[in-house]
Amino acid sequence: MKSLYTRLFGRYWNAYTALIAAGVLSALYFGLTGTVWAVTGEFTRLGGHILNFFGFDTTGWAYFDLVHLKGSSFERSDGWIVWGMFIGALITVLLSNSFKIRVPKQKRRLVQGLIGGIIAGFGARLAMGCNLAAFFTGVPQFSFHSWIFIVATGFGTYLGAQIAKTKWWKGKPALTKGSAVSKTREKRVIQPYVGGVVAIAYSALIIYFFATGKPLLGTAAIFGALFGILIERGQICFTSAFRDLWLTGRSLMGKAIIAAMAVSSVFTIIVIAIYGMEPITQVTSPGTFVGGFLFGLGIVLASSCETGMMYRLMEGQVLYLVVFAGNLIGVTLLAYAWDHLGVYNLLVASGTKINLVTAIGPVWAIIATLTMLAACWVFVDYWAKNKRYRMTVKREEKKLVS
Amino acid sequence: MSADFTLDLRGESCPYPVIYTLDALKDMNPGQLLQVITDCPGSFRNVPEEVVNHGYKLVKEPEKNGQEYLFYIEA
Repeated sequence: MKSLYTRLFGRYWNAYTALIAAGVLSALYFGLTGTVWAVTGEFTRLGGHILNFFGFDTTGWAYFDLVHLKGSSFERSDGWIVWGMFIGALITVLLSNSFKIRVPKQKRRLVQGLIGGIIAGFGARLAMGCNLAAFFTGVPQFSFHSWIFIVATGFGTYLGAQIAKTKWWKGKPALTKGSAVSKTREKRVIQPYVGGVVAIAYSALIIYFFATGKPLLGTAAIFGALFGILIERGQICFTSAFRDLWLTGRSLMGKAIIAAMAVSSVFTIIVIAIYGMEPITQVTSPGTFVGGFLFGLGIVLASSCETGMMYRLMEGQVLYLVVFAGNLIGVTLLAYAWDHLGVYNLLVASGTKINLVTAIGPVWAIIATLTMLAACWVFVDYWAKNKRYRMTVKREEKKLVS
Repeated sequence: MSADFTLDLRGESCPYPVIYTLDALKDMNPGQLLQVITDCPGSFRNVPEEVVNHGYKLVKEPEKNGQEYLFYIEA
């Protein structure tokens, strides 16, 4: 019992295991509910609720009609995916005794988080989804917009990584001479008990949903929590998958995401074939590329995407409170700019919905998707092998000089 | 174990723990010892992985200290 607990909560889980589990679960969630694992659409509605709360009238905003802004977040399955993710991540953070209020020492990080969060939120909604609906759950839905989005995110994160490593952006660490701290004795551990209480209370809520004839909310609450647990335990960070590849050549997260999308695509095509369901398709337009690029830039500047932000906030990282605020501001700005500033007419109106299943049939759709993912894998592997030792090379140059 | 330099990175989020650690090691002389203190969960994995991949050595097992980790790296 003790050893099982240590295995689950004493260390983080393998990224492949966590991501593949998330990929299979998202295919299952689609089969059960006909919707996909996504978060920023709900963020947009939250932004609308906040505007309405402060007395702004948003009737007639086209984007809020598009995302069906009505009712409250707690009466929507998309809402419970978001709250479930927060609560699920919080439960495992507490069970593993890893909650700690972490305040950035350099105040510039807060400004960076806000700016990055706004850009990432704006870009995600312009492209109709973040790293989930336009990426991790978009590819397995065979929505072509996710292909464009991935490439554009690649360019955006590359620019972001160049900015993040400049002196004025990264700042200076506190490097001191000698040893600073030694190991301190741990105080009484109470977090796992709090985590247990939260888990029991949340389970009771899920039972309540099913008992009162709201199985859709109950299902969303279960899957939301499972997704939250998986991204926290696996430390699933889409930002790092791109950024670390550009910065240091680290390829583990990128490869795990690609493998999980392949598994998820296979499961989804089976679900589509068996139940005759319509895959969820978003518009492919110039806005997809522009949005994907902005999203990529924003997530590197903010140090997190919209999903990574969620588990990091639950870990007590104060920076991500600012990133969350930035995300909400960004998605709301996009909702405003959509019709009021002509963003839709400029970038999206010319687009069409392209789904590979309807365009080329289910067999070719899965073949094309797996081929594209294989190409991504080869690219990541090539880049990692050829760029990995860049920083070390610089070190040897310095040794020669001295 | 007494280190030559200490990087206190508590409060810093990814990717800065990795960048700062590699930057500090780059400017140190070979054989000198760097102690890194971090509390960003992402860095518990990517700091040891990246220093090893960049040709440095972890001289002892990372120490867990409550919600923080201590790394000892030889430049």
